[in-house]
Amino acid sequence: MKEILEVMLWPLVACVILPPLLVYLGLHVVQRGIIFIDIAMAQMASLGFCVGALCGLELDDPLNIAIALGFTLIAAALFSFTNKSGSEVPHEATIGIAYVVAAAASVLILGRAAHGDEEIKNMLVGNILLVSAEDIFRIGTFLGNFLPPMKILNEPPAENMHGGFLPGTAWWFLLVGLVHLIFRPQLCGVSFAREQSHSQGMRVRAWDFLFYALFGFVVTSFVRIAGVLLIFSYLIVPAVCAVLLARTMRIRMLIGCIIALIGGVGGMIGSFYADLPTGAAIVCALGVLLVATALVAPLIHRMKRAQR
Amino acid sequence: MKIPAIIAAALAALLTAAEAKLNVVATLPDYGAVARDIGGDKVDVTVMAKPTEDPHFVDARPSFIVKLRAADVLIEGGAELEVGWLPPLLQNARNPKLETGKPGRVIASEGIRMMNVPTTLTRAAGDVHAMGNPHFMMDPIIVKAVAKHIADAFASADAANAATYQANYAKFEQAINAKLQEWGGAMLPFKGRQIVAYHDSWPYFARRFGLVSEIFLEPKPGIPPSPSHLVKVIADMKTAHAHAIIVEPFHNRKTAEKVASSTGAHIADVAQFPGALPNTESYAAFMDVIVARVAAALKE
Repeated sequence: MKEILEVMLWPLVACVILPPLLVYLGLHVVQRGIIFIDIAMAQMASLGFCVGALCGLELDDPLNIAIALGFTLIAAALFSFTNKSGSEVPHEATIGIAYVVAAAASVLILGRAAHGDEEIKNMLVGNILLVSAEDIFRIGTFLGNFLPPMKILNEPPAENMHGGFLPGTAWWFLLVGLVHLIFRPQLCGVSFAREQSHSQGMRVRAWDFLFYALFGFVVTSFVRIAGVLLIFSYLIVPAVCAVLLARTMRIRMLIGCIIALIGGVGGMIGSFYADLPTGAAIVCALGVLLVATALVAPLIHRMKRAQR
Repeated sequence: MKIPAIIAAALAALLTAAEAKLNVVATLPDYGAVARDIGGDKVDVTVMAKPTEDPHFVDARPSFIVKLRAADVLIEGGAELEVGWLPPLLQNARNPKLETGKPGRVIASEGIRMMNVPTTLTRAAGDVHAMGNPHFMMDPIIVKAVAKHIADAFASADAANAATYQANYAKFEQAINAKLQEWGGAMLPFKGRQIVAYHDSWPYFARRFGLVSEIFLEPKPGIPPSPSHLVKVIADMKTAHAHAIIVEPFHNRKTAEKVASSTGAHIADVAQFPGALPNTESYAAFMDVIVARVAAALKE
């Protein structure tokens, strides 16, 4: 156990502190029935980086990061605009189309761009095992401009490490979590009680846009350290398990977090002892947990009914 | 009672023997193969990338960090090939013996005159490695220099066996020198001929054996060829009278087959790394197979 901590301390920290927000967003996503939104958002951000590369910008150039965030916002606007209730076209279709077109467009653009192919590809295949303390907790030169100098957290990134400009993933998650906390009634309203929100005269589309934009930030910052497979599993699997087992939001959240924690830490320990790629091991551990939950859920429901 | 005691003693002996060995980690299989030849039974070599894996995208596993923590010597190319995965692994391993500048850190590209080093750093010319083409291990003469570098590093990390390492190096050098005659002879009839590669990983090989490698199936690293690019490749191959296409395990063979069928060229299935093809564990055996396959494709 001591050796695991020595070798995989920061991946473990990432798997403990980051997933709760993903589980929470996952519950929204499952409720909305937009399962592939995360991949579409990540691909849109990646397309933004490709456009930046086409203009000759380096990957960690602040302007390029701004372009990528701009593309995320465009995607957010697109998805909130196309999410009409009662439309003939399912929302998931729009999301899927956005994904494939963004992916294909990046291939077209990369053929023209001067450089950066490998790095842009690497953004979608992040590896949780390689996560460092800086990736999670770095203040970054951008935020560093506004803060008094802090030695411990503001050390420059190690040689050859990209992204010394933006803050670490934990701060993004904290920010998004805070916004979700502040606007909880509205954001939960548009996700879980759409009809009611409409009839109450809420500006559903604007709140949708905020939801998607925040979601895009989370996905873009997490996909870099963990990869597409892992972010998809963290969003969907704990949420589905929770929906199978419980009805109220609070208990679903609790179950989701427990599933994410067991899957993450269990997968990581398994990957250590069996020497497997860590991200894939976590995804499979979460998959096993989902199967176990699906088997147990009917029994629990039967017991509850019997009690009544 | 006796048998467990014997086993325990044997285990203890094994463990001390294992401890006494120099722990060597090589990022790529070519450095690993040379390290085994130089270290012999005095070293324990671990190779991170599989020989059939694209060295740009290596799937890191937890044991890599464990091995790096225990390593006495790390051998890397240092020419941006491993830049995507080695620095974060090293950062997590925190092994002071492997810090840059320490004798335990062997950067194979040091002291090598690299080909295709961009003169300006605008990078407008395409996806170029700023330090030059990193596939220098395809030239056996450069490999001799790398072997010397490795022998010196082993000698300074494990002074007790320094003489063995230098003797092994002398043997390695002799073997390569003898082989060079053989390989050069096999390639001599094809002097000046074109080899068409999928990716620009063969300039050192081509230079050593008097071949030309200027036509590539991919327009840019990692970008699938467009129809117009393939048309251009086919036209270029016809004007250059190129009849041999070389493809590596992790490249798309179908593209090569398509181009081969419209030009009548022959495909040589080759690899950059010892161990990727059967019976190519040592560097000399590997180069034997590569030379034979390229010669066969050029002959037809």
